[in-house]
Formats: sequence, structure tokens, C-alpha cells
Amino acid sequence: MTKGGSALFPALGPRLMRSLGTLAIVVLLGGFAAAALVRYGPGFCTDENAWNPQYSASSEEATRRRCEDENNLPQFYLRYLRGAVEGNFGTSKSYGVPVRELIESRVPITAGLVAFGVGGGVLLAGLFAWIAVWSRMPAVEAGVSGVVAVLLAVPPAVLALGFFLQEAPIQFAVSLTVLARIFGTVRTMLHDAYGSSPLLAARARGLGPIALGWRYVLRPLAPRILALFGVAVMIAFGALVPIEALCDVPGIGQLAWKAAVSRDLPLLSALSLIITFLVASIHSLGEVLAGRTSRDSEAAV
Amino acid sequence: MWKRLALIFLLLVGTSALLSPVIAPFSYSEQFRDSANAPPGGKFLLGTDDMGRDRLSRLLYATAVSAVLAPAAAALSVLLALLACAFPGLVVGGLTTICLSIPWIFLFIILRAELPLNTDPSISVLLTFALMGVAGWAGPARVFSGSIREMMESGWMLQARSAGIAGWRIGLVYAWPHLRSVALAQFRVLAPVYILAEASLGLLGLGVAEPMPSWGNLLRDLQHPDMVRQNPAILAPLLLLMLCLLAIEAVAVKTHEKEVFR
Repeated sequence: MTKGGSALFPALGPRLMRSLGTLAIVVLLGGFAAAALVRYGPGFCTDENAWNPQYSASSEEATRRRCEDENNLPQFYLRYLRGAVEGNFGTSKSYGVPVRELIESRVPITAGLVAFGVGGGVLLAGLFAWIAVWSRMPAVEAGVSGVVAVLLAVPPAVLALGFFLQEAPIQFAVSLTVLARIFGTVRTMLHDAYGSSPLLAARARGLGPIALGWRYVLRPLAPRILALFGVAVMIAFGALVPIEALCDVPGIGQLAWKAAVSRDLPLLSALSLIITFLVASIHSLGEVLAGRTSRDSEAAV
Repeated sequence: MWKRLALIFLLLVGTSALLSPVIAPFSYSEQFRDSANAPPGGKFLLGTDDMGRDRLSRLLYATAVSAVLAPAAAALSVLLALLACAFPGLVVGGLTTICLSIPWIFLFIILRAELPLNTDPSISVLLTFALMGVAGWAGPARVFSGSIREMMESGWMLQARSAGIAGWRIGLVYAWPHLRSVALAQFRVLAPVYILAEASLGLLGLGVAEPMPSWGNLLRDLQHPDMVRQNPAILAPLLLLMLCLLAIEAVAVKTHEKEVFR
């Protein structure tokens, strides 16, 4: 047991420990920021019933006492964090329902959009970059780069609006947004890989393009491709709010926009905390897997 | 040639933006209520919006807001990143990781939601870009700390230190020219990012407040395809934004190629 345990930690390595530590700090700081924003946000502890003449003195007193309790930020933060861990983020001011319910019903829609957008974006970026590098024709490379530059110059929301108005799937807009932002990195990666000496030697030996691509491009690049997925997820989440808000997609992004417009800080803070946790987790996982795969690739070579 | 063309175009846009109070036919908020949604031509070269305001004048003022303040915000981010690198690497490294984990748009809309509803439009303009500048320091800070680490381990740095050259002199005479090119590259990356960010926020109604125009809030009319069909001049802000970004990209690519070649 002891042997297994001691073997496990060196295998996981300091990278995982560092990632978990960063994740914990992100969540703690994010939670604190969210709690502080809710606590000091406009309208905190104002009760619309205070102007109701039928409201009894004892109810007013109970509200006042509750506010006094919540005035202490550290205590408020600890309660907020405990609630967040249990999945209780309080009640939305604008919808009047628990924040958890609102989020749960919208997660599948956003998850589908992000998964399709990221998967499609990485695939398209790979394809475009491969065409640019493999063709070895300046005109083709300039053409592909030109298309990507135009895509990069269009705000993601306008791109999505175009798809929406043409009744085309909005997921493609997310994919194109991801493609435009990671194309440069993918092209550089492929350019370096296709120019490496082992690949050139294998090509001279007559190895086919598929075997070349698998052995000398995809396998050595696997860690960086994994890390790229983490970046792509962050890009997709960044584009989510305008795309969902303008194209009437009832996901997390649209919920965040509605919360911002109606100044629903409890909802907005909870959403930010969850998204930050998700993005930081994916980022950490990507880094850990990238490190692991890098060691495996080196061992294989 | 492309770089020269792009530079001339950017210079023209910048000049017309700065001279907008002089060359714009009308004020950005002046309303002609009997000419609402007027087509292009005659008195109004690009037509008017649904509140009867001249589209050309608003576009000129919007260019002044977006094309001048976005680079200013980028400069602020780069400056903050350079200042942050003065702190020990551990603090910068940890902080940048945390800041980069937070999707900026969520951070931004939460901060905007904290502002009072009656915030003055000119203050909202400054706040929008100042928040972008402050929130965007982490990316360049990570690049700078990497560059500084590389420099500290380089042969010439070891040689300079072993020769007994004072730290400030090494920093100012040897390290700064290298860092300056990295800072300029970061600036060139961030300026278009902030232009696009303002456009996204403006489309959502969370950026620059009306009646102050910006490229972002002018793009809101694109949500009404019937209006675009009646008056294609509504696409002018999008076209100008795209051309500016393409010109910046062309200049950045050519400058990068030149630096690599050097």
C-alpha cells in the first residue's frame, strides 16, 4: 500500500500538484471576489417589502438582523463558499429562482456549443494549416492565411449573427472563431514538424504521407495539441456571451448577459465562479496531460 | 508594398478620427427627427439612424473613440505588465495563471454591472477601455517574465554581470532594447484584440453608453437585416473595422518578418 502510494506521487509529479494548487487558489480568490461583489454590489440587502405598509415591524426587524449578519465580509465569504461547494449559489434577483436551477437547465446547451465549436475549430485549423504547409505553394499559403485574417477581423458576434440570420448552425460560428485564433499556432507547429530532420529523412526513405503524419507529426505534437484544446476552450467561452445573447441561444452565455443587463449580481458572480473553475480545470488538465504525453513521446522516441 | 498601403490607410483613418470634430458634418448626438432612417445621399452621405442622427458623423466620432482608445488600453496593459515584472517571478507567475484563468468577458460584464445606471457616457468610454487595459495585463506579463528569464540565463548577460557592469546599466543599455521589441509586439497583438472586444461589448449594449458612438454600438444596427437591406451603408462601421484590423495585421506581419530577418 505504502509502496503503491509512494509510486503514485512521483508518477503524477509536481506538475499535477502545482496545477491543483493553482486551481484551489483560483477558486478561493474567485469565490472571494464573487462574494465581495455580491456583498458590495448596488441593492445588496435592500428589501422591496420595506415600502409595503402591510409589512410587520417584526419582519422588518428580521430583515435588518439578517443584513447585520451578512455585513461581515469574511463570514459572508465563508458562508458563500460553503454554499457554493454544496451547489447552493443563492437566489437570482431577477428570476426569483435558485441560481442552481437556472444553471442546470442551460449547461447542456452551452456544453454542446462549446464541444462542437472547439472540436470543429481545432480540426479546421489543423486542416487549413496542413493545406498551407503541405502544398509548399506560396499562393496557397497566402490564400489560406488571407481567409483566416478576414475571419480574425470579424467580431465573433457579427459572424454568429450572419449564421443566425441565414438560419445556418451557430456552432460553425464558434468553430470559425476558434479556427481564426489558433491557426497561427497550428501552422507554426506543423511547419516545424514538417521541416524536422527525422521527417525529411523518413520522407527520403519513401514513407507515405499518412505514416509520416502519424509518426513524425501527430505523435510528437500530441502534448502541444492537448494544450491547444485548453486554449481553444478559453476562446470558445470568451465568444460565448455575445454569440448566445445575440443569436437567442438559451445557454450560460445568454444567462450571463441577462444577469448583467438586469444587474443580477448573485447570478453573475455564481456564473463567473463556475466558468472560472471550469476553464482553470480544463487548463490544468491540459497542462498535466501535456506533460505526461510529452514524457511518453520522449520514451517512445 | 502591402505594409506601406496599410500604413497609409491607418494614417488616414487616424487623422480623420482625430479631426472628427472639425470634419464631421454634424455632432454625433444631433437629431433630425423628420429624417429618421433616411437613405444615403444629399444632406446625409451615409443616411441617418432610427433616431435621425447622421451616420457619417457618428462613424467619424466612433472611429475616434475605438481606434484611439483601444491602442491606449493596449499600451496600459503593456505598461502594467512591465511594472508587474518588477516583482519576483513567483508572484507574477502565480498571479498571471490566476488572471488568465478568468474569462475576461465575464470579469468585464460583472464590473460593468457594478457601475451606477446614470454613469456619464464620457466616463463610460474611459472606464470601458481602462478596464480592458487593467484586465489584460496578465498575458503580456507572462511573455515578459519568460523573456526576462531567458535573458538572465543568456551568455551575454552572464558576461556583463561577471564584468562588473552595474545592474541599472545592464537593464537600461542591454536588456531594454530587447524587451522593447517584445513590448511592441505585445502592443501590436493587444490593440486589435481590444478593438474586437469593444465591438463585442458594444453589440451587447455593455460597452460605451449612448449617445456616445463607438464601432461596437454602431454595429448594433446589424441585428435588423431589413434595415441593412434598405440602407447597406449600415455595414460601413463593420467594413471600416475589418479594414483597420486587416491593415494592423499586415503591418504586424511585415514588421515581425523584418525583425526575424534582422
